[in-house]
Order: sequence, then C-alpha cells, then structure tokens
Amino acid sequence: MTVATKSDASEGVSAVLEARKAYNIKLAASADKARSIWFPLVLMAVLLALPALQFVGNYNYVLHLVLFTACYAAMASGWNILGGFTGYISLGHNVFFAIGGYFAGMIFARYGVSTILMAPMAGILCAAVGYLIGSITLKTRGPSFIISSLALVMIARILFDHWTFVGGANGVALKANDLPVLWSKLPYYYAFVILAAFSVWASYRIKHSKFGLGLRAISKDEIKAESAGIDTRTYKVLAFAISAAFVGMAGAVWGEYLTYIRPNIFLVILVSVNLVLMCILGGKGTIAGPVIGAILITAFNEVFVATLGASELNILATGVLMVVVLLFFPLGIVGTLARNHRLPRILNWD
Amino acid sequence: MLQVKELCKYFGGIKAVDGCSFNVERGTITALIGPNGAGKTTAFNCISRTAQPTSGEVWLDGERIDQLRPHKITRRGLSRTFQISRNLADMTVLENVICQSQIGGWRDLLKPAMSPEEIDKAMHLLDFLGISRIAHEDGSNLSYGQKKLMDLAALLMSDPKIILLDEPAGGVNPTLLEEIVGHIRKLNEQGMTILIVEHNMNLIMRLSHRIVVMAQGRVIAEGTPAEIRENPAVLDAYLGGTLEDAA
Repeated sequence: MTVATKSDASEGVSAVLEARKAYNIKLAASADKARSIWFPLVLMAVLLALPALQFVGNYNYVLHLVLFTACYAAMASGWNILGGFTGYISLGHNVFFAIGGYFAGMIFARYGVSTILMAPMAGILCAAVGYLIGSITLKTRGPSFIISSLALVMIARILFDHWTFVGGANGVALKANDLPVLWSKLPYYYAFVILAAFSVWASYRIKHSKFGLGLRAISKDEIKAESAGIDTRTYKVLAFAISAAFVGMAGAVWGEYLTYIRPNIFLVILVSVNLVLMCILGGKGTIAGPVIGAILITAFNEVFVATLGASELNILATGVLMVVVLLFFPLGIVGTLARNHRLPRILNWD
Repeated sequence: MLQVKELCKYFGGIKAVDGCSFNVERGTITALIGPNGAGKTTAFNCISRTAQPTSGEVWLDGERIDQLRPHKITRRGLSRTFQISRNLADMTVLENVICQSQIGGWRDLLKPAMSPEEIDKAMHLLDFLGISRIAHEDGSNLSYGQKKLMDLAALLMSDPKIILLDEPAGGVNPTLLEEIVGHIRKLNEQGMTILIVEHNMNLIMRLSHRIVVMAQGRVIAEGTPAEIRENPAVLDAYLGGTLEDAA
C-alpha cells in the first residue's frame, strides 16, 4: 500500500515544499559546480593529439608510457566496478586479461583479424566467462572470496601452461604490423586511450544508475541490501561480468601490442596486484581514483627503474612509497581528499 | 493475511523456533512477545527469509513465500526493519531510503540512481517522519533514534502490504518513543498491517490489537491484550509477577 503522507496538507506545507525545492536545486547546483567536465575532455584531447609529437622526433617512449598507463587505467576502472563499488576484492582479474589476450591473439594468429577489431568480442566472451565464474565464487565473501580468486589464477595458469593448442608455456608469437617504427604504436595507442576513456565513462554511468546504487548498498551491508529488495546475487554477478569485460578488452589488444601471447605475460599475479594497488592508491569506489592510481604507479615504477635499475629494488621502492602515501591518504588519494572536502575540482569526476 | 505454519529453526541441537504457528490479520497491529531467547527474532528472520527455516511454511496473501529469496519477499509486499538499525554508511539518508524502492533486472543499468519521482516520494516520507531536514546527511552520522526513523522511511518506500518491526522502541528515548508510537498508529489507521517484536510491555499493551506470546520456540498464548494480561501460562513464562514488572 502507498502511505498517504499529504493527509495534513495546509497552507504552511506548500511553503515548506517550495523552500525544499529551492534547497534541492541549490544542492544540485553546488554538486555541478564542484564537478568539472572540461578537465577530462581536455585531457582526452591532449592525449588524442599527443602522437603528433612523432613529427618532430622519436617519442615512442612517451607513447609507450601513455599507452601502458591507459591500459592499466582501463583495467583498474573495470576492476573498480567489482572491487570498489561492490566491495568484492578480486585478485583473479588477470585471468580475464589472459582470456581476452588469448582469444583475440589466437584469432589474429590464425585468421589475421586485428585484435583491435576483436576486442569487443573478447570483452563479451570475458563477460560470459565472468558471469559463470562469478555465479560460483560470489557465493563466498570477504577473505574466502579473495582466496577463491587466487585459486582461479592458479587454475588458469596450469591450464594455459599445458594447453598445446595455444602453445603451452611457450605461448604464440604474433606478427608485428608493417607500419614504420615511428607510427607502429599508433593503432594500439588509440585503442588503449579510447578504451580507458570508455571504461571511465562506463563506470561513471554505472555509479549513477539504479544498478550502481544497489552495488554500493551491497558493499556496505549485503543483508540489508537484500532485505531492501535488491537482487544482490544477480547484481554481484553482473558487476563481476562487467568488470571482467573491461579487463578482457584490454588484454585482447595487449597481446598484439607485445607481439606475443604467453602465460607468464598475462597470468602473473603482479598484473592483478597492480590493479588492486592502483585502485587503493587512487581511491576505491571513486571514478578518478583508478586513473590517478594507474598514472602514479606507472610513474613510480618508471622513476625507480630509471634510478635504481631494473632489479628487485625498484619494486621495493614502489612498495615503500605506497605505504607512505596510504599513511596520509587512508582512503586513497581521491577518496581521502573528497572525504575532507579538499578534492580539487578537476579531479571530481564522480 | 500472513500465516505462519509449524515454523522450525534449529541451530545444531538448539531449537530456537520449534513449531511456531500464528496468523496476522489484515489491518491489525499484532505483537510478538516473549522472554529473552523465546525465538521471536529468529521467527522474524525466518519469515523475512534473512534466516532459512529448518521446516514449516509461511504464507502471504495465499502465496507461499518461505522458499523465496529475501528481495522477492520484499517485492511481494513484506518489509522488515532490523533490531539493530542497519544503515548504509557513506550514503545519504535519501540514498538509504531510495535503495528500498523497487528495483531489479538489467534495465537498472540505464535508469538513474534516483529519479525525481523517487526523490519526491522519499522526501514526503521523510517529511511524514519529521526528518526531512537531514535528508542529505550521511546515514552513519545520525543518532540512534534518527536511524530508527530512517529505517521506517526506507521500509515505506517499497509500498509494503505488511511491515515487520523488530524492536522499534529499543534504545530510544521516551519522547521519540511517543513519536514512533504515533507513526505506527497513523500507518495502521491508513490500513497498514503491522507485526511488532518488542520488549516494552507498556507500548505493546497500548498499541496492539492482538498479541502472540512465544516461549522456548513455541506459541504459548494468543489473544487480545486484556486476555494476555490475565493468562496464567504467560505470567508463568515471565517468571511469575505481572507483565509490567517483567518488562
């Protein structure tokens, strides 16, 4: 039944309603003022124009760095849908990186269809696989779920190491493209930048949908969410599938970019740990967080590799820096700044 | 309208609810009382399927609901509050309330989180409960009593046919208690069917039309407040003395 709340309507009530409407409009306006759409758009424009640098010299390294960051930003944004919004920490998302990479890579090796064209298909495949896996593993929660996701990586690693059709542990070499050295990165560069933009946009849309509200409710209190009438099981599994799709799409293009698909590129725990670290560093559950995290961790890594050499030492240095940052920003950089109302407007993408 | 038949819930060897049967008539306020450990909250949990009953049946409006998942039960028109208010932190009161509006299916991906109609409805409910001022506060910043009111608002958001209130007066001050009693009465006057678990005997006696008394997992008495007050089995369950003393 519907509750009649207007039963005691009088002249005073309409004035209150008016005042409240004005208040709501003011709130919405201040939220809009706090957000700046122009910054992501300008950033996107700069990134799209960046390859023009190649006309004045060889900036392949810069392009590689941006491409690498964009790849991780796309994956971290995808991971954030499950880990950030829904609160289910998965350490097994590199499995979808591998599935996407192998699916598109094998089609490229056998039939020569570009992985960039196959990436959406790889995303759909990963969503389907994610749906199946999620409907099993999402019955657990907390630490058990994390361990189940680790088990997933191990199972996948053993399977791919011994599957001769995809080259087993040796993997499969893919043909490099015929473009001149200066321009050979270009297709992958644009693919990753657009994929990153798409995943940021998609996670924004998801966060502001009914579905996103449900996911946030699940992350806070699943029993309450279920009793509030939210179909928590379907929501969780759907979130898992969507986040797997983004990781899979990134994986598809990554294989052709490296001209190699091999288990120890895709199925190393470092990949999924990176996704988690980026989201935690940037701010889990925020839109800008995974992107900021991807930028910072890539930058840390590069700086330390350059200064400390490509030994284990650079990983240690990145780890130490992360601990220090998280001491001061316990909710991640974007998350903590937003909590303290100090988030610069250009980073407020929520 | 709500029928509970031979409901059982065992935790290992402990029979928390052991063959409990009662009915809730449409448009009434029915109270479920009993000493600590009588199985009231467990029975509640089994009805709303927060816990899975070991055996027994629950019928709502001629439809068996004990096999359904909790969100389906909520959508059939049976909503509940929790003994300890379970609010969603990091979400505003408005979002907490709107979470309870009917949602489901793939199309949720495309719908906005809060439509203007839903905001309007939620604000009316918050107005009705007198807490629309704090609509944009974080749900976890509220006082205990405000959380109880927010729970009530969220409950009404799903347009329920019957609401289950688990200790609505637990831990709230006397002034707020009167307010909550007033709200419950007003809802009932509008035709809402209500089932309450409560320890405050004074409140129960004033508010309810029928009382179901549970002890050791079973229903030991059922009747109007006047009948229950005089029932020797009930007094015995509460260790002699009068009900008011026991509470």
